[in-house]
Amino acid sequence: MQLNKQLSIKSALAIATTVLLGAQIAKATDVESTLLIYSEKDRVSAGEGAVSIKHELNETQNIKIKLTFDALTGASPNGAAPASSVQTFTRPSGNGSYDIQPGIIPLDDTFKDSRFAVSGTYTRKLSRLNNFFIGANFSGEHDYTSLGVNTGFSRDFNNRNRTISVSVSFTSDKVNPEGGVPIPYDTLALIGESTSRLGPNATKKVYDLLLGVTQTINRNTLFRANYSRSHSTGYLNDPYKFFSVVENSSSANPGEPLTYLYENRPDARNKNSIYTQCRKFLNGNVIDLSYRFFWDDWGINSHTINLFYLFDFKNNTTLEPHIRWYHQSAADFYIPVQIDGSSNQQFTTADYRLSTFSAVTLGLQYSIPMQATHTLKLSFEYYRQFGDSSPPGLIGSLLRYDMFPTLNAVMFRVGYNFSF
Amino acid sequence: MNNSKWHVLLILIILLTFIISGCTSLGVNVWERDILASPHMKLEKNAIEREMDDHIYFSKEGSSGGRGFGGGGCGCN
Repeated sequence: MQLNKQLSIKSALAIATTVLLGAQIAKATDVESTLLIYSEKDRVSAGEGAVSIKHELNETQNIKIKLTFDALTGASPNGAAPASSVQTFTRPSGNGSYDIQPGIIPLDDTFKDSRFAVSGTYTRKLSRLNNFFIGANFSGEHDYTSLGVNTGFSRDFNNRNRTISVSVSFTSDKVNPEGGVPIPYDTLALIGESTSRLGPNATKKVYDLLLGVTQTINRNTLFRANYSRSHSTGYLNDPYKFFSVVENSSSANPGEPLTYLYENRPDARNKNSIYTQCRKFLNGNVIDLSYRFFWDDWGINSHTINLFYLFDFKNNTTLEPHIRWYHQSAADFYIPVQIDGSSNQQFTTADYRLSTFSAVTLGLQYSIPMQATHTLKLSFEYYRQFGDSSPPGLIGSLLRYDMFPTLNAVMFRVGYNFSF
Repeated sequence: MNNSKWHVLLILIILLTFIISGCTSLGVNVWERDILASPHMKLEKNAIEREMDDHIYFSKEGSSGGRGFGGGGCGCN
């Protein structure tokens, strides 16, 4: 019995020493990098590269810089509904047009953009239990710029088994759409037709609050819960989205488009979410399950479940399958089309991203250690988004068409991490 | 919406009950942190990949945030 106790103390000390030594020999600089190819069937293709460098200045301070570049091209739904004849839309710039064949959801194929983003965070250990960070971020596209600052504080409790954190962020965005900022409910102009605009650009401000608790449950399990609130104000429309006004049921061609009006969203939005995550060590492998409940004052509620399972093989190679399920309800002011004769709602959008739909992601990541502190990661993900092909509110010819064509996308990613 | 508010309230009650009542018996001693210290047990493992995923979902779905800030920063939504 005495021997067992001594052994137990001995092994406990050995583990404690290992943990402490592990902390001492931590590498000073960690680099994470990744390249992504994203491709939607018949729609958008994108390439993205990101590199994140975290450097420990000393035992109590570190800085992290992240650079991101992405480029995308392809076609995106413009908000209009399918029709029985060819539809012609003016391009956002006002120069030129594109035609959409009968029965097809109209996609604007002028979608082309590149984005550069940089962010930096400085973290400081204020005392044994208290941490503080401050950061800034910038993101720029040809028609959009964003500038943000953020800061946060965390404190450990209960022998460092619990961490409570609070952080806030402020972002100021500016949109400079091609052709200027459209007036909500204005008619989509014909080619060459002069049209009035709200101005060359518009602004948006976003205030975020994040409260978090991380709790060690036992030797194998970690748990985290976050509450976040985000308040956006300013120009919240998508300047390139409009909706169809269609002939009513007493007309000759019910459901056929008469005109297209620019969407009109509220100029404020309050988003909330509760996020919980549990990570558990299971016989050498690791399972990670998270759930997010999201709700906002536009009427959108959503549920997201994310499950990762990491198989850790003997030579430190890992294989990590992943499944994500998502479902959202529509915004209160979402309509697939507006029927002629009915007066405008206070707000209207036909953007499918604010409609009711579900999505599933299936993924697999293979991770290979290259040298002592180098890791190569290869991953593949498949994303599928599906909704109601015949939502309420349709009449006439629209009942024949698929109003929510399933979106299929694939993602390939190569990542390389190292420390020095 | 009423229904969903009940959902939220229920989740909050479960979380608060868990945090307030259970936590005193939760946790480990410092010499029991061997497994938790493993890089595989980091809650923010594969951070750069998860941030990229969040950016894609932000541009394709009506929700954002939760794990971190869900604010603006991009003209994709």
